Amino acid sequence: MIDSNLHWILSFYRNSEIGGALFFGELARSLRPSAIQQDMTRQFADEANHARYWTDCMASLGVKPLKLELAYQNQYLAAAGMPTNLMEILAITQVFEKRVVGQYTLHSKSPNVPIEVSRTIADIMLDEQWHIRWIRGALKTMESEYGADNIRDTLKRFTAADREVYARTITEHGDRLGELRLASK
Amino acid sequence: MDIREAAIRKMAEVLGHVPESITEDAVLTTLVSSSFVLVEMVIELQEEFGVRFQQVDMNGVTTVGQLLKLIESRVAD
Repeated sequence: MIDSNLHWILSFYRNSEIGGALFFGELARSLRPSAIQQDMTRQFADEANHARYWTDCMASLGVKPLKLELAYQNQYLAAAGMPTNLMEILAITQVFEKRVVGQYTLHSKSPNVPIEVSRTIADIMLDEQWHIRWIRGALKTMESEYGADNIRDTLKRFTAADREVYARTITEHGDRLGELRLASK
Repeated sequence: MDIREAAIRKMAEVLGHVPESITEDAVLTTLVSSSFVLVEMVIELQEEFGVRFQQVDMNGVTTVGQLLKLIESRVAD
């Protein structure tokens, strides 16, 4: 068995992965068939799988997932505003992925991480590396169309929104996140 | 078919509505079932008319009429 805070955190990760799958699935659906839609489709399938990994991880630790409210991603559009073109969709995706990688890296480096959790994070990180790579590549190819400065400004804007959502999450759930929050400072 | 009429037809196609049900004073968020459908509709309109919007362009655009005006101004550019 695990302590209640870790139980909550793993359930939060699972909930966020489900939210991510739905978020990227909706974005993929909004696009016309293209290489980018294909990659976005693979990404939302990965996110759904990650939710399953966390379910399996919790089962191996002897607990069932907790039912939690709104996932992190659900607050994104409210904070960042609606993306209106493909570049903005990819920019918001990249910012979100960086947050995910940052959080999982932080967790994997924290003390006393159960081996089941470390393995799950390692499995997820393999996919996350590809996510960041394809999005970065796609944004690079868009520089001639959208302008490198414009893309950089868009990433900055969405990064600020991401920080706002993350700060709100910390405020609401800081007691649960505990050392993960402290380690992020 | 003028730009406004073509745009309303496109919106109706994305939303699964009849064009006659989309009036210029309709608030965009009341027409869509989710924010993602609005994203889809805006992207489809840009593809249809060969124009490009950015997030900042949509600031203050809340109604169908305002969106039509934005499309017209971009097509004219």
